[in-house]
Amino acid sequence: MRTLSRRHFLAASSAIALFIRSDKPVWAEDKPQAGGTLSVILQPEPVTLSPTNNMAQPTQTVAGNIFDGLVYYDFDLKPQPCLATSWDLARDGKTVTFHLRHGVKWHDGKPFTSADVKWSLENIWKTIHPRNKALFENVSAVETPDDFTVVLKFSKPSLPIFSVLNGVGAPILPRHLYEGTDILGSPYNNKPVGTGAFVFKEWKRGEYVLLERNPDYWDSGKPYLDRILFRIIPDPAARAAAVEKGEIQYAPFNAIPLRDVERFSQLPNVKIDRRGYDWISPLLYLDFNVENQYLKHQRVRQALAHAIDRNAMARIVWFGFGKPAISPVPSAVATFHDSTVPQYAFDPKKAEALLDEAGFKRGADGTRFAITHDYLPYGDDYRRTAEFIKQALHKIGVEVTIRSQDTAAFIKRIYGDRDFDLSLSWNSAFPDPQIGVVRAYWSGWLGTQTPWTNGSGYRNAEVDGLIQAAAVEGNPEARVADFKRFQQIVLTELPTLPLLEMQFFSVHAANLRDIVSQGDQTYSTLKNAWFDGKAKG
Amino acid sequence: MAFPDSLILSADGTGSHPRFALLRRLLRRPSALCGLVLMAAILAMAVLAHPLYPDDPLDMVAAPFLHPGTDAAFPLGSDMLGRDLAAGIFHGARISLLIGVVAALVSLVIGIGIGALSGYYGGRIDAGLMRLTELFQTIPPFLFSLAIVAILQPSIATITGAIGITAWPGLARLVRAEVLKLRHSELVEASISLGASDARIILLHILPNVLAPIVVSASILVASAILSESSLAFLGLGDPNVVSWGGMVGAGREVIRTDWYVATIPGIAILAAVLALNLLGDGLNDALNRKGQRR
Amino acid sequence: MRRYLRRSLWQIGIVVLGIATINFFLLHLAPGDAAEVMAGESGAATAEYMAALRQQFGIDQPLYLQFLRYVGHLLTLDLGYSFREGMPVAELMRQRLPATLLLMGSSTALAVSLGCVLGFMAARRAGKIADTVISTLALLFYATPVFWVGVMLVMVFSVALDWLPIGGMTSIEAGYRGWALAGDVARHLVLPAVTLGLFYLAIYTRLVRASMLEVYHLDFVRTARAKGVRPWRIATRHVLRNALLPVVTTLGVQLSSILGGAVLVETVFSWPGLGRLAFEALFHRDLALLLGILFCSSLVVVFVNLAVDLIYTLLDPRIELS
Repeated sequence: MRTLSRRHFLAASSAIALFIRSDKPVWAEDKPQAGGTLSVILQPEPVTLSPTNNMAQPTQTVAGNIFDGLVYYDFDLKPQPCLATSWDLARDGKTVTFHLRHGVKWHDGKPFTSADVKWSLENIWKTIHPRNKALFENVSAVETPDDFTVVLKFSKPSLPIFSVLNGVGAPILPRHLYEGTDILGSPYNNKPVGTGAFVFKEWKRGEYVLLERNPDYWDSGKPYLDRILFRIIPDPAARAAAVEKGEIQYAPFNAIPLRDVERFSQLPNVKIDRRGYDWISPLLYLDFNVENQYLKHQRVRQALAHAIDRNAMARIVWFGFGKPAISPVPSAVATFHDSTVPQYAFDPKKAEALLDEAGFKRGADGTRFAITHDYLPYGDDYRRTAEFIKQALHKIGVEVTIRSQDTAAFIKRIYGDRDFDLSLSWNSAFPDPQIGVVRAYWSGWLGTQTPWTNGSGYRNAEVDGLIQAAAVEGNPEARVADFKRFQQIVLTELPTLPLLEMQFFSVHAANLRDIVSQGDQTYSTLKNAWFDGKAKG
Repeated sequence: MAFPDSLILSADGTGSHPRFALLRRLLRRPSALCGLVLMAAILAMAVLAHPLYPDDPLDMVAAPFLHPGTDAAFPLGSDMLGRDLAAGIFHGARISLLIGVVAALVSLVIGIGIGALSGYYGGRIDAGLMRLTELFQTIPPFLFSLAIVAILQPSIATITGAIGITAWPGLARLVRAEVLKLRHSELVEASISLGASDARIILLHILPNVLAPIVVSASILVASAILSESSLAFLGLGDPNVVSWGGMVGAGREVIRTDWYVATIPGIAILAAVLALNLLGDGLNDALNRKGQRR
Repeated sequence: MRRYLRRSLWQIGIVVLGIATINFFLLHLAPGDAAEVMAGESGAATAEYMAALRQQFGIDQPLYLQFLRYVGHLLTLDLGYSFREGMPVAELMRQRLPATLLLMGSSTALAVSLGCVLGFMAARRAGKIADTVISTLALLFYATPVFWVGVMLVMVFSVALDWLPIGGMTSIEAGYRGWALAGDVARHLVLPAVTLGLFYLAIYTRLVRASMLEVYHLDFVRTARAKGVRPWRIATRHVLRNALLPVVTTLGVQLSSILGGAVLVETVFSWPGLGRLAFEALFHRDLALLLGILFCSSLVVVFVNLAVDLIYTLLDPRIELS
C-alpha cells in the first residue's frame, strides 16, 4: 500500500520524495471514506499510556494517537506544523519562538494554550523525561507573551531539539490536570487526556485499549476512523493468524514472525509496509566489554568483527529485514552518516590472522579462548542472532556460551554489574546522533549504572570532547564535522560493532489506506488512515 | 510375607532368574512391550548420537527451512538457521533424557526422604514435614519452576533443578502412607527390639518394601519432567547452548504456522518418550502386582 | 468437627504465612528490579529517573522493612499496589478473575465429566477394544505438550475452518450485550477450555478406570454380584460411586497445577487470565502483583482441600475427621 490520496499528496511538503518512493501510480480519484473500527496489534501490553515517563514502543504507539505534538516529521524527517503552526530560530541559535495553533481543545473541553507547553517543558522535558533531559538542559527561560506564543531561551545552542518535537518526543500534557500533583503517579497516566485525533475510552488490562474518534479535532474532517482498538495478543503465531484472518487490520513494529511476513507478501488481502520507522532508525549492535582480558585488545575486537557474516545474518536470521550497518549513525540519518569509516568485511582468514597476531593462538583442542554472550530478551530474533554469532565465532576458535535471562536481569548484568563479555542489543538512533547514538560512547555515563548508555565501557578523551562540543555547537556544518570525526574513531577502535540497520515493518489489511503518511508514523497518529469500500465494524 | 519376591528382585537386581520373571511379566502385556520397545529406540538414539552425528548439532549446515524428505542428506529437514533436525533429535534425546532423569532423581531424593522420615517418626517431625509438603503443594508447581528458572536464569542445571524441586510433594505423601503401613509390621518391630538403628531400619527394611510405587512414580516423574522442560522452552526459558527436544519445540514455535515440522518433529519425540515412560510405568505397576495406582 | 476445623484453620495460617515468606525472599533473589525493567523497555533512562521510579515503587528501602510492611499489609488483607500497572493488586486480580475462573471451571468440568464417562466405559470393558482405544487416546493426550495441541487446534478450527475465533475473550469491536455477549464469550472459550481440558481429561480417565477396577475386586461388589444384581447396576451404584472418591481428592491436588497449565493456554489463546498475569508480573519484577497472585491461589488451594476433606465425609460416612 504505497499510494497516497491527492489531498495528502499535495499537503505533504516532501511530495517529491514521496513520489519517488511510490512504486505504484497515485490514484487521484481515491477519496478517504469515513467510518470503521481499526483493530491494531499492541505488543507487548504497555505499562502506562502517558508518553512522559515511558519511552517504550507500545506506550508511544497508543499515545501518538491521543497526543499531538508541536510538529510531526515528514519522510525527510523535516518538522511539519502540527500544534505549532510556525517557529523561528534566532541567528545565534539561543532563542526559539513557537506560534501555536488557535482553537485547539483538550479532550475534556479545556482550551490548549502556551501555558501547557511551558509547564510541560519545565516539569517533564527538562526533568523526568528519560531522553530529553540532556537536550533541554540548556533552556534557561520559557516565556509566554500570549496564549499562542512560546519563547525558549537557551544558555547554549541546542539544535537536536528540532528532532524530538513530535507528540511523543516532547509530549505536552494538560497542565490543568497535572499541575501540583505527583506526575509519575497521576491517575491520568492511565486514562490520558490529550489534544489528538483520538480520545481515550477504555483500557482493559490484558485485553485491549480502546480509542474513539475526537469529534472536535482541529484538523476538520479528520480522523476518518470511528475507533481504534489496540488488542494485546501475546503469542506471535496467534498474532499472525489474526492478521491473516482479518481480525486484525494493522500490525506495526514487527508484530508478526518474520517467516510469516515472507508468506504474507504473497497474500492478496494483506500488505507489508516498511515505511514509517524513519524517525526511529533502529540499529542492532554488539557491545564488546573492553575490560575483558581478550576483548580489551583492539585487534581481537576487529577479528571478531571480521568473523561475523552480517550479510548472512540479515538474510537468514532477519529474513532480509535489515542490512549490514556501516556506522552507529545509520545511513538513514543521511546528514550525519559517514560512509568512509573503516569496514569489517566477512573474512574468517583475516580474523584468524588477527587473533594469531594478538597472541591468541588455537590450543590443542582448536580453541583460542572462551567468552560469554548475553542477548536482549526481546524475542526469538535476538536469540537466533546470538546463536548465529556463537556459531560464527566457533569457526575461528572462539568458544561462546550464550546466557539467556529476562530484561531486568539483562540490564542489571550489562549496565549495573558489568558482568559480561559480548552483549547484543538494539537502539534507536533518531534523526540526530545526539539523541540516540552518542550515549553508547560517552564515558560520562560510566559508573552511573544507567541502562542503554555506554555498555562497552569505552573511554576516549577525544570522543568525549567531540560529543560535548557537538551538543552545544550552533553551526550545523561544524556539528556534522564533529560527528564524522567521531564515527571514524569509534569504528577504528571498535568498542561496539554495528551489526544491522534494522528494517522494521508493518502489516496491514489491503483495504486500509494511508496507514503511513509521515516519517514518524508508527509513533504518531492514524488520523489519515481510512477503510476503502467495505468498512469494518 | 515381608518381602514379596518381585520387590526384592527389582531392589537388588542381582538374582538373574527372578529378574527375568519380572521382565517376562512385563513382556506379556502388549502395552508394556510397546513402551519397552519405544524406550529402547530412544535410548539407542541417545547412544548413537555421537557416532552418527559427530559434529555440533547447533552448526548451520544446510539451507534454512529444508522440509523433511526434500534432501536425502537431511532426512528430517533443517530449521530456521539451517541446523540439521535429525542431528538435533538424536543429540536432543541425550539432553532431554538427562533432564528428565536428573529432575526425577531430585524429586525422588526429596520425596522419599521426607516421606520416609515423616512416616517413620510421626509426631512433630511428621507434622512439620507435612506442613512443608502442603506448602509446596499449594504453590502451582509449574509457576514455581517458572519463577525459579527466571530468577536463576535458564541453563540445563537450573531448569532440571527447578523441575525436580517442585515435583516431589505427591511422592512424599505416597511414600509416607506406605511407610506408615509398614512402621508397625512385625519385621520392623523385631528389628527395633534387636537394637537396629533407625537409618538401618528405614534403608534396609522399609524402603525396599515400598519400592514398587516408587519405581512406578519414577517413570511418571521422568515423563512429566520432559514435558515441563518443553513448556518452559515454549515460554522462552530454554538453554540455547545445548539441543534438547523441548528447546527445539520452543525454537520452532514462531514458525509453527509456516513450517509446522520444525516444532512438530521434536514434539513427536517428546510424545514418544512420555508415552513410552507411561506405558512402562503402567506395565511395571501391573507386573509388580499392585491393583491400582493412585496419583 | 469443630476441633478439626479450628486445627485446620490454624494449619492453614502457618502454610499461608510460609508461602508469603518463601515467595517474598525467592522473588527478591531475582537480579534486577522493576525500575530496571521499565528503563529497559523505555530504551532510555537517566539516573534521576531510575531513582524517582525506585522511590515511587518503595524498592529503595531495606529488604526487611519491605518484608515487614508486606506481611503487615497481608494481615489486614491488603495485597498492596502494583506501581507498574498503576493499580491496586486486588483490583487487577479482580479484573482477571472472571476469565480465570471461567477457563479453569469449564476445562475442569469438561475433564472430570468426560473423564468419568470414558473411565467408566473403559473399566466396564476392561481388556476389550473399547478399553484399549480409550486408554491409548487418554495416554496420547497426556503425552502431547499442551501448547502444541493449542496451536494445532487454532490452525484447524480457526484458520482453516474458520469456525471459532483465534483468541481473546470477546469480540470487542462488535459491542455485544447480554446473551449475545455470553454466546460470544462461549465461542471464544471453546478452544482454550478444550486444550486445557484434554490434558486433565486424560488424568481423570485413567484415574476413574483404575479405581473402578480396584473397587470391582472388593468384597461388597462380589457379594452384590453373587446376589444377582445386574452388572449395569453394580457398575453405577456400587462401583462408580466408590471410585469417585479419588477423583475428588485429585481435584483438590490438580487445582494448583491447573494455574500453571493456564499460563500456557492463556499465552496461546490471548486469554486474559491470572496465569498470564502472573507470568508477566514475574518478568516485570512486579513483585507485589506476583506475590498477590501466588498468595491467593495458594489460599484457594488450601480451602478447596479443606472442602475436599469435608466432601469426603459426605461421600463416605465411614471416614471421620480427626
